[in-house]
Amino acid sequence: MTNDTTLTRLRAANPVAEASTIDDEALFERIVALPTQSARRRPRRNRRMLVLVAATFVAAVAASTAYALTHWVFPDVVHAPVSRAEYKRAQTILELPPGYTWPAIDFRADTVMVRGGGGSMAVSIDQSAWECYWAGAIQRGDAAAATHAHAALDDLMRNRISIAPQGAPENWGPTNATFPWLVYADDGGYQYKQRIYAEAAAGKPAGLEQSCRANGP
Amino acid sequence: MTETTDEARFRRVFSHFGAVSAYAARRGSRDPDGVAAEVMTIAWRRLQAVPADDPLPWLYGTARNVVYAEARSRRRSAPGETSTAPAPEVRSLDPELDRALRALRDPDREALLLVAWEDLTPTQAAAALGITPTAFRVRLYRARRRLRATLASSQPAPMPQLDVEGT
Repeated sequence: MTNDTTLTRLRAANPVAEASTIDDEALFERIVALPTQSARRRPRRNRRMLVLVAATFVAAVAASTAYALTHWVFPDVVHAPVSRAEYKRAQTILELPPGYTWPAIDFRADTVMVRGGGGSMAVSIDQSAWECYWAGAIQRGDAAAATHAHAALDDLMRNRISIAPQGAPENWGPTNATFPWLVYADDGGYQYKQRIYAEAAAGKPAGLEQSCRANGP
Repeated sequence: MTETTDEARFRRVFSHFGAVSAYAARRGSRDPDGVAAEVMTIAWRRLQAVPADDPLPWLYGTARNVVYAEARSRRRSAPGETSTAPAPEVRSLDPELDRALRALRDPDREALLLVAWEDLTPTQAAAALGITPTAFRVRLYRARRRLRATLASSQPAPMPQLDVEGT
């Protein structure tokens, strides 16, 4: 099947005929010094995220008998198909770091979330992924990847993440935000992220690494 | 110092560094060793997802995404740029073959190159692309037919910008 003249000609034109061998023990050591996925703690959601708190709260009242009441009290709650579609749509808008994939999220049939919540989950996952990618880039001394990650996180913080005003209800959402968006409670979480990003850019990635370990994929 | 089980396993994966770097160079990366280093970092981080018996298809599949990300990043920083200067160690293709390859759809081109340049078996190449061996054989058959037809035609094929397939 693979011995026709077309493939023979293509094989002969291989622009890099042989793979070089590498014996870079230093690179090997740097890589294995990084945490593996299995060595990390089980991923958990960032507790500061107002949207997910709201989602949990709303999910608690999602028994079928409470359906009508839920819609009456929270007119902006949506069910699993909407959240699932939001999560999917957000994946077409947001960019993950190289090598990362979107995790499958099981939006159970009885799930209810605030409108936009599926997109907010995607922003949160994207943010954590870029943090881990950045931490890895710093560890292996890849300046280009680090710059890329820093720019991606800056973009998220500037254009996708906002802070709920003090005293805002739990299902508060930004009025003119571009989908997808994520809301932080006004409890210093946003400023904490800004600080660890600034420290990482200045060569002190400890906070970034901790955030990756706590929230990363 | 004794290595952990994970480290010993990763050392076998790491032995493919040169092959991954060559793959990146063949796909037009300007920094093939950088791509290989990134792929190895991802492999270490997700070691449990890397097939222990034959990691190469997984590594090529990941390298493909990293090379595409590099190309996307390059296009963002230089939007008008359509041609890519390969790494210095890369021999240039003969123009006719280059044109014919560029005229192929990205999945077809990748199917051909995994077999012809990376020397993978159809089963390995299917694993690298995340499709079934049967689907791969069909794709390879069609790709060969299209490449042959393009090479046979006397008219120069159009040169679309290399398309980036989703990850």
